[in-house]
Amino acid sequence: MKARVAVLVFPGTNSEEETRDLLVDCGADARIVHWSEAASLVYYDAFVLPGGFAYEDRIRAGAIAAHDAMLDAVIEGAQAGKYVMGICNGAQILLEAGLAPGTGEIRRPTAAFTHNAQGHFICERVLLRRTVPATRCAIAAALPENLLIPAWAAHAQGRLAAAPAHLDELDRDGYIVFRYADAAGATDAHLAPQGSAHGAAALTNREGNVLAIMPHPERDAWNFNHLDRREGSDPLAPSGGSVLFKSFVTALERL
Amino acid sequence: MLCSSSNFRRGPSLRDLKVAELDDEALREQADALGLALRVDELRSIAQRLERAPSFVELYAFDAQWSEHCSYKSSRALLGRLPTAGPDVVLGPAEDAGILHLGEHEGERYGIVIAHESHNHPSQVVPFEGAATGIGGIVRDVLCMGAEVVAVADPLRFGSVDSGREHQRAVARGVVDGIAAYGNAIGVPNLAGDCYFDGDFDDNVLVNVVALGLVKESEVIHSRVPRHGENFVLLLVGKATDASGFGGASFSSVALDAQEAQSNKGAVQVPDPFLKNVIMRASYRVFSLLRERGIEAGFKDLGAGGIMGCSAELCSAGGFGAEVDLDSVNVALDRLLPEVIAVGETQERLLWALPEEIVDEVERIYNEEFSLPQVAQNARAVRIGRATAAQRYQLRHLGEIVMDVPIDFLTGSVRDTLPVEAPTPPPMRREQDLHCKRSLDDLFHQILAHRDVCSRAPLYRHYDAVVRGRTVIPRGEADAGVMAPIRGSRLAFALSVDGNPRIGRLDPQRAAEHAVYESIRNVVAVGAEPIGLTDCLNYGSPRDARQYGELVAGVDGLARAARDFGLAYVSGNVSLYNGAPNGHAIPASPIVACLGRLTDLSHCVTLPLKEIGSHLYLVGETQRALGGSVLASILALADEAVPEIDIERIVAEHRFVLAAASNGLLRSAHDISDGGLFVTLAEMSFGALADRRAPIGIDLDGYAGWSAAGRFESAFGESGGIVVEVADRDVERFEELAGALESVREIGTTIAEPLLAFEDEAWEIADLHRSWSRPLEELFP
Repeated sequence: MKARVAVLVFPGTNSEEETRDLLVDCGADARIVHWSEAASLVYYDAFVLPGGFAYEDRIRAGAIAAHDAMLDAVIEGAQAGKYVMGICNGAQILLEAGLAPGTGEIRRPTAAFTHNAQGHFICERVLLRRTVPATRCAIAAALPENLLIPAWAAHAQGRLAAAPAHLDELDRDGYIVFRYADAAGATDAHLAPQGSAHGAAALTNREGNVLAIMPHPERDAWNFNHLDRREGSDPLAPSGGSVLFKSFVTALERL
Repeated sequence: MLCSSSNFRRGPSLRDLKVAELDDEALREQADALGLALRVDELRSIAQRLERAPSFVELYAFDAQWSEHCSYKSSRALLGRLPTAGPDVVLGPAEDAGILHLGEHEGERYGIVIAHESHNHPSQVVPFEGAATGIGGIVRDVLCMGAEVVAVADPLRFGSVDSGREHQRAVARGVVDGIAAYGNAIGVPNLAGDCYFDGDFDDNVLVNVVALGLVKESEVIHSRVPRHGENFVLLLVGKATDASGFGGASFSSVALDAQEAQSNKGAVQVPDPFLKNVIMRASYRVFSLLRERGIEAGFKDLGAGGIMGCSAELCSAGGFGAEVDLDSVNVALDRLLPEVIAVGETQERLLWALPEEIVDEVERIYNEEFSLPQVAQNARAVRIGRATAAQRYQLRHLGEIVMDVPIDFLTGSVRDTLPVEAPTPPPMRREQDLHCKRSLDDLFHQILAHRDVCSRAPLYRHYDAVVRGRTVIPRGEADAGVMAPIRGSRLAFALSVDGNPRIGRLDPQRAAEHAVYESIRNVVAVGAEPIGLTDCLNYGSPRDARQYGELVAGVDGLARAARDFGLAYVSGNVSLYNGAPNGHAIPASPIVACLGRLTDLSHCVTLPLKEIGSHLYLVGETQRALGGSVLASILALADEAVPEIDIERIVAEHRFVLAAASNGLLRSAHDISDGGLFVTLAEMSFGALADRRAPIGIDLDGYAGWSAAGRFESAFGESGGIVVEVADRDVERFEELAGALESVREIGTTIAEPLLAFEDEAWEIADLHRSWSRPLEELFP
């Protein structure tokens, strides 16, 4: 049986359809779950929080959504070992909910994806490379070593910030699953387009069942929207950033 | 914002205007005191038709409805000259948006809804809010056709933004921030746009907006009460009505005055993209409910004229009158005056006309399932009236009738006949090549760094180009944006928006023709077949015979070019009274959007060079006409002719380029526009840099000796045309396909050295890129 994945929609979410579509194309039974249907979330095997501007980014990006009733089910699920992936605004929500990096209490964030160094929204192509061992984060475990994953950075608040000592801890203990890379695979911190600490693009938790990733792999994920589309390939077939979603679905199938 | 509003200075005891008792001078004085833009003769005709003194509510209603913005009174007769019918036209320009046929997928016919508007005056006065509500408004125009909103685009014209011009710079930044804040939040990708900087827009920027939607042609919802719609309920949806945007339609219909700019700020609406995001998704749910039940409804955006304008047009378009109860409107403030509730232009509102049987369920979707009242203070869906068989438009307030007029008199066409002065004849073509003492090298760098040529990335990187995941080619990677809107289908569309103000200043008719030609050329350059057009006519005052003459010439140019290319206009907008307080108008600015169709998106062509050893061909001719070019403006050349459009040749060229693209023979393509051929070639080389690859160089070994014009015209002229890259293995097939087409010539090859080599010159691509990529970074950091 296919894994049942809930794609959560808060007021202000805007990337639910492509996120659902890619999960389906990667083999999951993914459904969009609206905020008025929060009670149904307990029946799902995994959760994906897509991009957008939940609750208008009031206070801080993700701050209100982290207190939404939908997060009760997500927090409970994550603590029980269910897989949870947040993309862009979804990642911000997971940090505000204390699920990633998960080094503090629930709903008491220890780190944030906050305002870009340039002070405004940016939309540009980026490359990501996993910089932790495959076993560190189950969701990213099926990715080949050193693979460069294409994605789009499209956010106003994507710069990882925390107390300096805590940032060093996150770096040292393998919480930073993906970093911004160049075409040669280098991951110098300056490659982060918004000045993210340690060049961080994604964080996991201690257990490795939560992934909070700022750039959007699902926007460069089929041949038709993939930068390096090959001539003669099926334009509707998954490619590019879909490898991360495939890895997510593979992890679910192994449960 | 209540009785203290600058637009309202009367005590509530005097609620009608005794038109018959006043002489012209006194009437004008009273109308001015009320903030009415209606003319004295218009006021008299209202009183005569009503056979009584009109109430204030009625006056504000006519003021909005008969404004230039709503009635097109100066332009409607001209607009009849534009072609509006064609094989791909599903719906022409009669409703809130037009529809073009995209293609079939799994037995369903799909249409692309397209709307084109301006938000020029609001963006000048309050740039952030003005530009944001421009996006907000155009998105509603598309949504209300029953469509899913899939893309926006924004042609922009800013003033001169040199250092020290803080006001113009702040306006430009505010506009870009407003577009980004709204479009990004609602999750609609920004697919296309263009941008010019010119001192003639210092006091009056242009902010045009285009929005696209996807709809099954069998599921279009019209902007009218259906034929059987007597007693249909009028259900208002959205933000609580407040005092913002009162007088918006009239404000857009008069020239801007710097002194009044401050007091006009109240006429600009307040954007709420967060609420709009939820309203859009809730409306999609309502669309599926109506489909399931097989219910025909009417749906319309609240724009100019607010509740009154929308309900009157929705009902009269279906052949009905309307009764609306202003007391049932959800308001943000108590004690709003009835005219403010009736004609104020609070954002984020739409109006349904629905049969009684479905109203409760629709209300439940908006108010409970999508919890509008929790999303924004007192936002909701609420019944406000009904469509009536009686041909009257009636408004009630506090239990009394405050407006009761024949509906066709309110919404019917008012037309002004205006004196026209034909534009000065444009300069003639030169017989000799241009003599210029400056070096190609020096000019090349200056042109690359010119504000109308240099990279737009610092601007458009503020916009989300890829939300929804269906963008095939984002801005900057080809001449037109391309999107595949239907999951599981290879169908795609291409969009380009164009209009060159440098030509507008010289030759209003040809500026319109070039806007059409360029938008079509850009769509062709990505391998898409052009299927339809929209236009936004941005001009000065119709009360100035010369400025009005530019509008007349522009419409003629648009009509002629579209007929020549065999295309129709399905949507459009007219924005008049654009200019400086001293009466100096903006350059004639017809702005055209072209929609193209790709039956298989794998045939689309991007701009960056793809491989070494390819052959570069120029498809097009160079003319000894630098009028409107960047080179002419840098060299301050007067008396230059604007390039002619040799329609037969160009149509044949486009047919050829499309055939080559669909046969997979084009590795890359880029049109020749601002800055000319050398800029086109340089940008094709830069493409690889954006993809983080080593740039591919160009050797123009085939360039010498073929051009009919001189060096400067050939390098920097803007006569149009398209440069294409053909792989060595495809050259034979490509040339065979070109056949007898004379205007296809090989001009060079791609090389491994990162150079652009021409005769004795060899420019480093990286140096050229430095000149081109940076100029806008300081304006949009």
